[in-house]
Amino acid sequence: MINLFFALIGILIGVVIGFLLPYTYDTTYSLYVSVAILACLDSVFGGIRSNLENNFNIRIFLSGFFGNAILAAFLAYLGDRLGVPLYYAAIFTFGGRLFENFAKIRRILLFRGKKSN
Amino acid sequence: MKNPNPKIILTLFSIMIGVFISTQIKMKLETITPITIRSLQTMKAEINALNNEIAELNNIIKMKEEELALLENIAKGDDNIINILLEDIKYNKIHSGKTALEGPGIIIKMYDNPEERPFGYDLNEDVIHDVDILNIINDLRIAGAEAISINNERVLSTSEIKCGGPIIRINGRSSATPFVIKAIGDPKVLYAAVNAPGTYGDLLKIYNIGFETSIEDSIYIPAYTGDFQFRYAKPLGKDD
Repeated sequence: MINLFFALIGILIGVVIGFLLPYTYDTTYSLYVSVAILACLDSVFGGIRSNLENNFNIRIFLSGFFGNAILAAFLAYLGDRLGVPLYYAAIFTFGGRLFENFAKIRRILLFRGKKSN
Repeated sequence: MKNPNPKIILTLFSIMIGVFISTQIKMKLETITPITIRSLQTMKAEINALNNEIAELNNIIKMKEEELALLENIAKGDDNIINILLEDIKYNKIHSGKTALEGPGIIIKMYDNPEERPFGYDLNEDVIHDVDILNIINDLRIAGAEAISINNERVLSTSEIKCGGPIIRINGRSSATPFVIKAIGDPKVLYAAVNAPGTYGDLLKIYNIGFETSIEDSIYIPAYTGDFQFRYAKPLGKDD
């Protein structure tokens, strides 16, 4: 539970910071960034899961976080160039994995609760 | 690399995601939808319509420029203002229906169903109503009729066509069957507008109402004899 709580608090703090910061980027990149955000979210959920499973590895997490984000953004960009909505691939993959990770986190937390009872 | 507390790492990166999300939200993006062939076509149609509008506006600019040149000539004293005003009057009279007109067109003769009916038969189906005339007139106007008369009574944009029992009132005057509608315009188009299958004129034939159309090379349409008087409407602005 604590892990999810940390992630949520972190996102909330980040949102506040983002709103306070005056920086914005060009709207043409918004699609790439939004796909990258999805990839990052997936990585964080994966991180939470691995932490709960006690096999969290900082290297795997970092490489996944940045690598996935960059790959997703690149796919979106490439799709734009080719005229094929390739970012769907990223959306389906990371979206699916997001729910998968969440399902596993739920199971771990529920199982743990039963154990402690 | 030592393994730091994963919770701190996760929090830090969550903050990063949050920053990205909020910057994204801040930009107030329009929703992105994939381009379909349909949307491409509608966009194309829109562009075409806009281009047509631009062309029309350019024409208006040209017309106005010509007008301006004319006015400048008047100011210089090259053109006689009386001649120009007389031409203006002529133009306005033609378009307001104050002159008799002549030209090619069609003559429609409409009359009630002449057949004898058994007692008790609904009479309404055999009689020409004001609505029938109105629909025919409207069809003629759609087909580009430039001048229309009914029983030698000029039909203007302000003319009423009113049911008065067995008669019909146009411009305040009563007309009785048979109604002779004359229209100046492209004869073929006018003929088709009231005779083609599915048109109102075609429908009237099903009800056995007399409906005869003939194409004429020269039709005489009389002038409007009434007066124009606006009691409530007042002109606004100086532009024509």
